[in-house]
Order: sequence, then C-alpha cells, then structure tokens
Amino acid sequence: MINGTAAVAGIGATEFSKDSGRSELRLAVEAIRAALDDAGLRPADVSGLVTFTMDNNSEIAVARELGLRELTFMTRVGYGGGAACAVVQQAVLAVGAGLADVVVCYRALNERSGRRFGQAFASADPDAAWHVPMGLATPAAQVAMVARRYLHDHGGSPDDFGRVTVAARRHAATNPHAWFHGRPITLDEHRASRWIAEPLRLLDCCQESDGAVAVVVTSLARARDLRRPPAVIVAAAQGSGPGQYVMTSYYRSPVAELPEMGVVARQLWEQSGYRPSEVRTAVLYDHFTPYVLIQLEELGFCGRGEARHLIADGGIELGGRLPVNPHGGQLGEAYIHGMNGIAEAVRQVRGTAVNQVPGDGPVLVTAGTGVPTSGLILRSGA
Amino acid sequence: MSRDPVPPQSPDGPQSLLAAAERLRNSGETVARTGRDPVNLPMIRTWLEAMGDAGEVYERDSVAPPAMIQVWTMRGLGPPTAGDPLQIMSDLLERAGYTAIVATDSSQTYHRYLRVGEKVTVRSRLDAVAGPKQTSLGEGWFVTTVSTWLVGAEPVAEMTFRVLRYRPGAPTGRAPSEPIMPVVTADSAFFWDGVAAGELRLQRCGECRTLRHPPGPACPTCGSFKQEYATATGAGTIHSHVVHHHPPVPGRRAPYVVALVDLPEGVRMVAEYRGPAPRIGDPVRVSFDGGLPVWCPDVPTLEPWTLEVTPTLVVSTALATRDFQNVHHDRDAAVRLGGKDIFLNILTTTGLVQRFVTDRLGPSARIRGISIRLGTPCHAYDTLTFTGQVFPHGVEVTGRTADGVHVTGTVRVAP
Repeated sequence: MINGTAAVAGIGATEFSKDSGRSELRLAVEAIRAALDDAGLRPADVSGLVTFTMDNNSEIAVARELGLRELTFMTRVGYGGGAACAVVQQAVLAVGAGLADVVVCYRALNERSGRRFGQAFASADPDAAWHVPMGLATPAAQVAMVARRYLHDHGGSPDDFGRVTVAARRHAATNPHAWFHGRPITLDEHRASRWIAEPLRLLDCCQESDGAVAVVVTSLARARDLRRPPAVIVAAAQGSGPGQYVMTSYYRSPVAELPEMGVVARQLWEQSGYRPSEVRTAVLYDHFTPYVLIQLEELGFCGRGEARHLIADGGIELGGRLPVNPHGGQLGEAYIHGMNGIAEAVRQVRGTAVNQVPGDGPVLVTAGTGVPTSGLILRSGA
Repeated sequence: MSRDPVPPQSPDGPQSLLAAAERLRNSGETVARTGRDPVNLPMIRTWLEAMGDAGEVYERDSVAPPAMIQVWTMRGLGPPTAGDPLQIMSDLLERAGYTAIVATDSSQTYHRYLRVGEKVTVRSRLDAVAGPKQTSLGEGWFVTTVSTWLVGAEPVAEMTFRVLRYRPGAPTGRAPSEPIMPVVTADSAFFWDGVAAGELRLQRCGECRTLRHPPGPACPTCGSFKQEYATATGAGTIHSHVVHHHPPVPGRRAPYVVALVDLPEGVRMVAEYRGPAPRIGDPVRVSFDGGLPVWCPDVPTLEPWTLEVTPTLVVSTALATRDFQNVHHDRDAAVRLGGKDIFLNILTTTGLVQRFVTDRLGPSARIRGISIRLGTPCHAYDTLTFTGQVFPHGVEVTGRTADGVHVTGTVRVAP
C-alpha cells in the first residue's frame, strides 16, 4: 500500500547534452553522487538500486563505482520510458517492506551519441513482426498512426500538437539546464518543420539526449532528518491496458486512447485522495506531442477529445489553467526517459524550480506513453 | 581596378551552377523548333511495330499515338540547337563532372491526337534546377524543363520532363540495405506461410471460433490452445495511416505509407499501403509483395501484362523514338557507364504504358495524358510486368522487374 510513508530525499543529474563524451556508467555514477549529496547521504547509506530494463549499467557495476559494500534490493522495470515512475514505486515498496532503507533509482544513457531510439532497427520481439517489417519501424511513425486517428475522432489539427511544443519550448527557454535554453519557438516554426511521419513533424518529436538522473527514496521519517525537505510520495502506480502492445496497441478500440494511463490515473487518485482540479502542475511524459493531449484526457484534466481546448490560449503554459512541464519537458529540457520529469516534480514540491508554479497543491508525474506506464503524485512533507 | 574581397567562386561550384540556372530560367522559352518530318505513317508504323502495339485505331483514323509526341521533335543525330537552355544547362553540369544523364520523370498532356501530315514545332523552357543531391546513382542535379508542342499557333501537347545529371561511380547515398523481415514463431508461421501462398490468413480459435490478429498460442476468449486459421477475404477499410518520411528505414524508399486496416472479419492489420493519397475509411484490398502483405485501393484492376524485354525491343524502340543515346543500343557503352546491359529509354516506357492501358481498355479509349516516374532501369533480358488500377482520375500503372519498380505512373483517359 502506498500511504505517504516514503519520500524523495534527493535528486541529482548530469548536464544534458548531445554528446556527453563519457561512458553511461560514469554518467550514472555522477548523477547518483549528486543525488546523494543533495539528500545529505553517503554511498554507504544506500542498500537498494532500481533502474530500467533498458539501462545498460548493471546494478553491481554502479555499486562498485560508488563504493557500495552491500545491496539488499535490486530490481528493474521494463517497457522503456514507461518505467520512469515505476522505479520509484519499486523503491517505495522496498522501503515500506523494510527490505532496504535508502534506495536509489537511476537512468543513464548516451541516447544521442550512442544508440538512438528513433532509428529503425530489427527487433527479436515477436510482436514487432506485425509492424516493423511493414515499414512502421520507428517510434514516431508508431505514434503517428494514433495521432492521425485522434484527429479523425475528435477534430482538431496538427496545430494542436504544435501548441504542446510551443509551451514546452517557452518553459525550456528560461531553464538554464534545458538543451533549448533561450530558444523558444512559435507555432509557425512548428508548422514549417519537416515531416517525420505524417501527421507528425520534427517539432512534435522530443530531443535525443545524453545524460543521467538519479532519485533517492527513503522513509518519510528518515527523510525529515535529511538535508532537503522531503517530497512525499502519496501515490505511485503502474498500469497496463487491455490488448497492450509496445507502441502499437492498435488492435483494441478505440485506437486513440491510452487505457494503461487510465489504469495509472485511477490508482493515483484513489491512493492520494486528490482530484485532478487540485493538481498544481503536471509533469507529463512528452516524447511525442499527441500523447500529451491524450494523457490530459486519461488523467481526467479534461473530457475525452477536449484536450485541444485545454491547451488552447496557453492553458498548459506557466500561468495557465494547468501548467504542464514547467522545466520544458523532454521536448525542451532533455530526453532522460522521463526521469528528469521526476526531478522536476521534486523541485516543484520543494519550491526550488526555475519556473516555479506557485501554490502548495500536489504535483503529478507520468511515465512513457504507448507502453505499459506508471505515475506518481508528490506533495510537500512540511 | 577594385579587388573583389571574396575569392572568385569555382565556375563548377554549386553556387555558380545555381546562378547559371537562374539566368537560363529567366531567359524564358526558346524559339519554336520544327520537327524534322511532319507526322507521317511510316514513322507511326515503325513505332507501333517496335512497341508491339496492334493499335489499328491510329492507322484507321490517320492519327499518331499520343505517346509519340516527343518523337516528332527529337533531334536525332544532328548537332544540338544553339541557345537551347536545357542543352546549355546540361553542358554546364557535364563540365562540372556530372557526366551521366538519366531521365526520371515525364508528364505529358495531350489536347488532341496529331493527324498525319501535320507539321509540329516545340518550344521549351528551363523550369527548375535542383542540386547537388545524393541519389542512388551518385551525386547529381535534377533539371526540369517544360515543353509545348504546337501545330501552327495551336498548342497540341505539353510536357514536364526531368532528367538527373549525375557523377557516375560510387553512389554517395546510404549503402543499400536489406529490408527488415519478420521474426517467425510457432504461433505465427501459418500467417507467413499464407503470405507465401498468396492468401491472408487470420488465426481462428479451434474451440470458440473467435478470429484474432495478431495471433498467439492461447485464445484470449476461451483459453484454448487449439488454434486454426481462416482465410480472409482480403478486403478492408483504412482505420488510420502514416506517411513515413524520416529517418531512413532499411530496404525502403521514403516517403511511403503504412496503413492500419479494419478487416470485415473484425480484426485490424498493419501493412504498407500503395496507391494515391489515402483517407480514413477508404476501401483497400490486400496483395502480396516481397513476402509481406500490402494494401492497395480496392478499385477495378487491369489484367497484368508481362513482356520479355529483349535486346531487339530495347534497340528497335530506341530507334523508333529517334533516341540514339548509346546506352539504349550499345551494350559495351551501357556496361562502361555502370549498367548491366542496354536499357529502355523513357520514351519507350511511356509508349509501353500507353500500350498496356489502350490494350486493356479497348480501342475507343482516348488518352489525355501520361505521367510517369522511373525507378530502377529496365534492362535487356529483364521481364517487365505491368499492373494497373482504375480510378476516377485515371489508371495508376506500375511496371516492375525483378530488380524493383521500373515505372509508376498515371494515364488519364477521356471519360
């Protein structure tokens, strides 16, 4: 049971770049050290490590480099960026069960200078046989299939996708850690960007980034004694939907929905007791713009098919009805598989974000879309 | 004398070529050039014979096959016309090292059929020059011209024509890559066996008869492991679709379309879609190519036509179209330029496309226009197969050899 007895005590990250110039293992170690420093903990305090199935850095290699002596909890979560919030859930469960006292969640990747996820490649997954050989071979194309149907079902235009990027880039423009710091865009620039997979343009696709993020989870009681004010984990949920595939859940009706995010949403509201209207800011996984609209609907921030009205006139920008991704998201800050979004949610709870959203309401974070996914709600522990 | 602070540009550099193109473009249309002979029966008969076109309608009505339009004003072996902008541009590119030339696109519109005895003139202008581009043949420039044919002052036909002037040798594009093929498992083998056999198979539960795609070992409805298959009708409607542009996908040439299709059997399936721009709800029908299902518009099709491309066909059609470029009759020259043999010229491909459609639609079909795009060359000893789909806007034609798609095009027919 997730009952607010665990908290994020520290966050850490490397710089976000297109070519880190160092190994993914080193990036992981740098981010974890930064997160432990942030929390006021030492490597020796860590007894659990959790990461993504896709992470190339083994727990034991990370432990060796950090000088950890013993680990009592190690686990990984699958489905790419869908793991982002689920790794924190794993940490909460381990802490709550008394299996580990301090658990570090990490994700380190040279996704731009190393293997780029946006390229077409053969997959050994039998599910891929129904899509990749047919030419539907990249994440952008796989999302575009849903995006076209979304526009058909609910009206709207690719401009509605573009507004998501305009908001993200506006936020990134004032975030010195963002790759696109100082580089906002207009809707016309979105319209002028080249086709990647119609109806998606280049500016509907998030960046490709090198970098690492780490998050330290411990009990709320211990977190209260540490350096930073705790970000209490009041909800942590995972979800998979009916007829679930990886990026290609086309065989259920309707296609232009994310029922797995609905599964996550239901649990988040039940666990936390909050309602969507109470959320101060939402950090939504934004590898491709259309899924931001569908997430707003699945999470209950607006009705089905109404997200374009919510995002019109700056509704998801700072000062809007629901500021989304004040750090700039993966479209504007960096693509660290959603983990940088968790760090942003913690800063918003602490009140230390560069684009701080005022108020003391809870902050919601989601993980990768189009795949089995996860989510968190954090609030101040003061 | 003042010195230019900027070093003079190489006369063969891209900027200099683009500047020359702009000057030639601005020079407008050439003066009318008269065809060597008036429209005449001997040339028509030779052309029909070379194409293998029975086409009695032409002789009966004393008119020329419309796809012959370019033939009447081909230069033949005579010297090039001075001041012709296409020739000047071509010469500039050749001097810059783009020594090889290949036609890529031809779009012809016929206002009427030409009558025997009519004297034809042509006026041309340079329309666009684009480059340097990385192509499968090597680095090159696309040169587009627009021509108008006249009888007296009456325009009788128009053509937009594109050639690629390229640097032969090592292609600078991506290395050719093999397409990604499916991973076949014990649960999916029946489907791929079906594709190989030319049928679309859907998994059917042996207990509760529920149809399912994609397949799996256990029925999600009743739990049975007893799995059979049914053969789908092959029809469907587009549920959604994607036009893939970027990044490159192994074995495919972008842009291409992939469609998610609702089958009347109650399942959905993803495959490439080939045809005019699709819309959600459009009816499609499955076909098979390269070991994969492919969606095509569900419209009437023409009976395919297969012909053996003999050296005689290549040479006789080249000469009947007054095209004396050596790659169409001299095997040594064609091989020296990197080809595997002599190959069809674009005028002949246009003529064969016309023959395919008029053979299938009957002698009363009046051709209003033929637009084609060439893909892989069609060499001597290739087998060329034409397929066609009949749309309200015209007949969509594809000609394939074992090497790939030689030609795609649209033949517009009078209603």
